[in-house]
Amino acid sequence: MKDIIAHGDNINVLLARYGVKFGIYKNGTFHEQLFPFDPIPRVITAEDFDYLERGLKQRVDALNLFLADVYSQKNIIRDGIVPEDFVFSSSGYLPECEGITPPAGIYSHISGIDLVQAKDGTWYVLEDNLRIPSGASYPLIARDLERKASPLAFREYPVRDNRDYAALLKETMDNVNLGGINVILTPGRYNAAFFEHSYLAEKTDSVLAMPNDLFVQDCKLYYRDDHGQKQRVGAVYRRQSDEFLDPCTFRADSLIGVPNLMAAYRAGNVAIINAPGNGVADDKGIYYFVPKMIRYYLHEEPILNNAPTYLPMYEEDRNFVLENLERLVVKDVAEAGGYGVVFGNKMSEQELADWKALIQREPRRFIAQEVIDFRDLEIIDEGKRVMRKADLRAFVLSGAETRVWASGLTRFSRNPDSFIVNSSQGGGFKDTWVLSR
Amino acid sequence: MGTISLEKRDSLYWLGRYTERVYTTLKAFYDYYDQMIDREADAYKNLCQRLDIPNIYESEEDFIHRFLFDSNDPNSIFTSLNRAYDNGILLRNEITSDSLSYLQMALDIYGASSHSDVPTMALLPVQDYLLAFWACMNDNVWDQRARSIIKCGRYVERLDLYFRLSFPTKDIERTLCKMTPRLKQCGMAYDQEVLDILYARVREKLLHTPGWRRECARLLMSLITE
Repeated sequence: MKDIIAHGDNINVLLARYGVKFGIYKNGTFHEQLFPFDPIPRVITAEDFDYLERGLKQRVDALNLFLADVYSQKNIIRDGIVPEDFVFSSSGYLPECEGITPPAGIYSHISGIDLVQAKDGTWYVLEDNLRIPSGASYPLIARDLERKASPLAFREYPVRDNRDYAALLKETMDNVNLGGINVILTPGRYNAAFFEHSYLAEKTDSVLAMPNDLFVQDCKLYYRDDHGQKQRVGAVYRRQSDEFLDPCTFRADSLIGVPNLMAAYRAGNVAIINAPGNGVADDKGIYYFVPKMIRYYLHEEPILNNAPTYLPMYEEDRNFVLENLERLVVKDVAEAGGYGVVFGNKMSEQELADWKALIQREPRRFIAQEVIDFRDLEIIDEGKRVMRKADLRAFVLSGAETRVWASGLTRFSRNPDSFIVNSSQGGGFKDTWVLSR
Repeated sequence: MGTISLEKRDSLYWLGRYTERVYTTLKAFYDYYDQMIDREADAYKNLCQRLDIPNIYESEEDFIHRFLFDSNDPNSIFTSLNRAYDNGILLRNEITSDSLSYLQMALDIYGASSHSDVPTMALLPVQDYLLAFWACMNDNVWDQRARSIIKCGRYVERLDLYFRLSFPTKDIERTLCKMTPRLKQCGMAYDQEVLDILYARVREKLLHTPGWRRECARLLMSLITE
């Protein structure tokens, strides 16, 4: 381990060389910056990973069943497990997806599940990301560079190879491909995750397409070459949000979508990865119901824990939140990327009063959670070892079978007083080593 | 890959042009910089004239700094390198991450060189990285058409600069000969008559009239017809 820490600077040099960056908009201007890498890996034991793997597969399978149900029979609503208005008032619920069965019945092909480990070792799921979870490319390329910079470390430790992510992703795309090429559709060069889009296209041997490269004809999706010839697209791994995907179905002012893509999808002629409409299942409010979904669809007890969560729309929960706000964290269900998250213990008296009034006014808009004192991880900060908050984004790929990638993106806060680990807010990342024994 | 979209074809072509522009303009800059050491004060004005760029510079020092490093000057070499990168980054899965890394390193070292006391020394690795970039692409890009589009862009740009900067006729003829097969392989429409005239002009040798290079540079602009 000392070896890899000693070579931390070398790895950062290599990451810079390969342009491992993410984009960020500040005051309306696009900036690209390096994603700071910390050389001390998060190490997950084989036993812990076995446990996580079982729990993650179970969770994602249940979420896929929920999506299939919500957009068809709605049994879970009829049986009173998930309240109707919770589903239909979610901004992620898309009536345009009603009645569509995606290829192979899979909605969330690539799921990013955010977890933290409490100080007693218990793992908690903080968030499910079923729309376009990003971040797999960072530990993927970092591992490659770590092995170059510090080969002996990998001889010494039984670390499972994570460089199979591209193969897993390709299999996931091939599994639902309806005839034609695989395409990764990027909104463009100035998207925050453009590095990832282009890197995954390279590694999966897919075509990286800009919206203008694609068109729909006779309810089929095609890639257009420079001489006007067309090539059929069988699966599109899109990296833009649902609302921008197809201006003929969703936002008419979208310039980064493909007109009539939804018609091709509805006709069963192209797979969209991940399926449109998944936002209804990763809504921060729906999160509360995931353990119930597991019991309902799989008749199993949930393996992974949710963080203790309260829904202010329920009177009992609302009263609890109002009484205990100073020790809870409140999240706006419509926000992402670490935004819309406020900690009660950081609020002044006036702010507490204002938030209580807001929660009473708009109870559906928020969830409240107990603050989990999650395990700090060591990082190197200006040459010294210091402890910082960190989470783990695990990637679950649903193809012919559901598989958990034996790695993940460990993000950490660089600010000693912060729980916010998001890259857009200055966080860094680590590789995640899963031990084979 | 096989299929190349219109946007990608443009990016491949301009990647070739901008990388060559950086490489050859830097070489030319060194020559003119050398003249400026001997206090040939008009040297940089002459370079601006030859490159058809406005002389917006207040002094030799201003020219040296801004022509090399001003990212707000559309004619600076740094701007050309940024444009090369802007095109390259769209093409990671055509040209590979390994190739792109050389362009990234060229850009990083270029930016860092602006603080150097002797930028001419600090910038030398930029040319090394560009050479490595081209070699890496040549080795890694399996799609012959994609390779040809990049090379076509490179040689068109080189020809243009060689004409403008009065490079020796033999160098111009060599570049023309290198460009021709790439032009035929790249699948872009071009004007055969213009190509024939360029060959005829270059090979006139003793019959060269004053200003023939400028005339060729103008003709070259109409070679690619789409």
